[in-house]
Amino acid sequence: MIRLAAFNWTHVVACLLVGVTAVLLSFGALVTTYEAAMAVPDWPATYGHNMFLFPLAEWLNGPWDLFLEHGHRLLGALTGLITLGLAGVVWRSSTHAAVRWLVVAAVALVLVQGGLGGARVLLDDKTVAKVHACTGPLFFAVAVAIAVLSRGRAPTASHEVATRVPVALLVAAYLQLVAGAQLRHLDASVEPATFHSLVGLHIVGAIAVTVLTVASAAVTASTEGSPSARLWSRGMLVLVGGQLFLGAGAWVANWGVPADIIPASWQLSEPLRARSVWAAAVVTGHVVLGMLILGGAVVLAIESGGFGRRAAAAAAGRRAFA
Amino acid sequence: MTNTPSFVHRSCYATLAFAIVVGAAAGCGKTQPASFRLNMVQATKTSAPEADLERPWEKWSQDRQSQVATILLAMFGTPDEPLALAESGLDEAKLRLAAGPVRSDIVGRKNGLYREHCVHCHGISGDGMGPTAAFLNPYPRDYRPGKFKFKSTWRDAKPTSADLVRVLHEGIAGTSMPSFALLAPTQVDALAEYVRYLSIRGEAELALFTYAEQELGGDEQLPTTREFLVDEILTPIVGKWAAAEESQIPIAAVPAGVDFGLPASDFANRESVARGRVLFLGDGGCVKCHGVTALGDGQANDYDDWNKTIVEVSKEVAGSLDASRQAPTGELSPEKLAEHRARAEWLHAFVEVLEGDALRPRTIPPRNLRQGVYRGGRRPLDLYRRLYTGINGAPMPGVGPSGPGGKGSVADAEIWHIVNYIRSLPYEFDGELGADRPMIAKDRF
Ligand code: HEC
Ligand code: HEC
Repeated sequence: MIRLAAFNWTHVVACLLVGVTAVLLSFGALVTTYEAAMAVPDWPATYGHNMFLFPLAEWLNGPWDLFLEHGHRLLGALTGLITLGLAGVVWRSSTHAAVRWLVVAAVALVLVQGGLGGARVLLDDKTVAKVHACTGPLFFAVAVAIAVLSRGRAPTASHEVATRVPVALLVAAYLQLVAGAQLRHLDASVEPATFHSLVGLHIVGAIAVTVLTVASAAVTASTEGSPSARLWSRGMLVLVGGQLFLGAGAWVANWGVPADIIPASWQLSEPLRARSVWAAAVVTGHVVLGMLILGGAVVLAIESGGFGRRAAAAAAGRRAFA
Repeated sequence: MTNTPSFVHRSCYATLAFAIVVGAAAGCGKTQPASFRLNMVQATKTSAPEADLERPWEKWSQDRQSQVATILLAMFGTPDEPLALAESGLDEAKLRLAAGPVRSDIVGRKNGLYREHCVHCHGISGDGMGPTAAFLNPYPRDYRPGKFKFKSTWRDAKPTSADLVRVLHEGIAGTSMPSFALLAPTQVDALAEYVRYLSIRGEAELALFTYAEQELGGDEQLPTTREFLVDEILTPIVGKWAAAEESQIPIAAVPAGVDFGLPASDFANRESVARGRVLFLGDGGCVKCHGVTALGDGQANDYDDWNKTIVEVSKEVAGSLDASRQAPTGELSPEKLAEHRARAEWLHAFVEVLEGDALRPRTIPPRNLRQGVYRGGRRPLDLYRRLYTGINGAPMPGVGPSGPGGKGSVADAEIWHIVNYIRSLPYEFDGELGADRPMIAKDRF
């Protein structure tokens, strides 16, 4: 007979949380791409219905905007429930303090995030939307950290430089999402000068993330760190490389080929189509990949010993329990 | 190794602090309700200090600006609550669909279309100075002077509704202006109406400032009577828009020997293309700008009207500022000195406006006609219209008559031959240039 208690529930639920959060954030990114945030004017109800009782047919057959926004809300609620479930599991197990604290943070973040989502709708305020877009990835990062730390395998401690670079990458990857969120939530009152600084910041951020990713790969390869850190840092190279392409694609999808830098014979001969599926896919994909890079950076930072003895102890503690 | 956690902590705090700073920079607190911006270049241009000014210049000019703003508010409402006077001929229901913040109404219909699709380029006031504008070349259209390029009407006439809808539907190839073909026709319709609204509003604003400059003495206020605002300001503008339908240029019958169903290189079109080439190199006067090679390498230092306004004003201001700096102020009478000071104040304010409220002027190069990318559409009919009237607001002149009953430099029917020649250019083997292959290998066939 399988003994349920022997099963690493914390890890399983945390992985589920990571997966559902990834879908939730992708929906959120689509909501922004299609400016569907105000597709449902009320909150927490949906067009007067209890959110969970909103007719399925109306949701699936209604306007695309409504599909996205209501779907985002349902996924948000699901994420909240899974987070509470995770808290329950952790509460009953003897998981290490680091994981416990992260779960507390996750619960706090998911509640705040739900509230921000509601405030964004009720106040119809883009500033709230920007904050909402920055908290989402933060929550995702915490979920990934819980999943990794609850896994029951201690990362090998490595050389100091080999831990610092990945942590710096993690920070840069998050800041890059913050800057990106500001660019995505343009409203009528944004001053051109502010916008230009943000674009500059986002480009500098892209350079920083790229350099730090390459540096991570280099230091993890050259020191006797854990093999999985080495593997992750190489995977990050692929993700970040793809992200640079998507970033350029997002620029083109929004503003065309920059005429001042690119020769005229490279200009598109057809106008771009607003709301075309590929444009939406490129722009949204840029956000989603940004989130995945953040998640990867969390794993890499932990794998390379970035959270030091606490993380090692957390993982080891989990193993003792299992 | 031991100090790693504290490094991590420091990094995390720094991240948080940075996020807060960015959040604050991006506009703290609740987003302000959107409001129209004044046309500051026009406002400043028309407020040169008058000799009999009794108040400080700054107070006086601000007062005038707020008069104009108040009048515009009464006539056109706000970006969230647009207003259409009956005399404006605008459809308020359509405007409401396009205006305001992006949201779905109670029946699930999306409102706020302009802010969803256009505002980041064209700006909330339609001044072509949205946040992204500086990155784009050409700049997005400034609707306020009421000039449009790609249309079926006489050069100086307004575009018809169908023209605006067509630009929105097709987009403008070779520029960042996208096609909105994937939006519902009612949405495109509402957007076209909103463009007209912003344009009429912008023209009314220009008219008010110009009137104030020309007709008002030092401390006079703009009249706010209905007769003045509607009859004198609004009606002439609306009249031009209403006349658009009747202002379409005549389209000559396609002459024999021109077959647009076949490629320009086809034998059937041979003579027509040769004729078009002769006109292009001769009577059409095209080589002055597009060059003999049609690569667009002729005169290339010109500006379009929107940029030219800024260039000219900047030059004038810089000149006056120099003159004012060099003027001896020692022996001026107190009145003259006050006048001189007011003028200097005005010029300095102007410099600031030109730096802060206008985009850096850009030249408009003549098109490279061997690329086969046409902003106003690539159907022969589109090219015919471009050649007939030229491109309004751009240096490109027309070869047709400038108005009904006039005479152009090329006969109407002959224009079709030039169209045919232009169609052939991307594929032409140009022996004269010593090239034995097409100039641009961008063949679509
Ligand atoms: C990515 C930037 C961008 C967006 C978004 C955009 N435009 Fe434009 N638009 C431009 C540019 C650039 C031009 C000028 C092209 C030129 O001068 O050849 C232009 C020109 C125009 C013109 C003038 C056409 C003419 O005949 O002169 C109209 C009208 C217009 N846009 C309407 C709209 C509307 C309505 C929307 C939203 C539904 C919109 N644009 C969205 C960039 C944009
Ligand atoms: C004074 C200079 C000048 C002359 C003369 C001139 N053009 Fe142009 N032409 C331009 C400029 C500038 C543009 C680009 C306008 C724009 O981008 O809005 C242009 C654009 C064009 C286009 C592109 C239209 C489109 O839809 O994109 C065509 C075709 C063209 N010219 C053909 C001609 C022909 C044929 C002649 C002679 C009959 C001619 N031009 C004469 C300056 C000139």
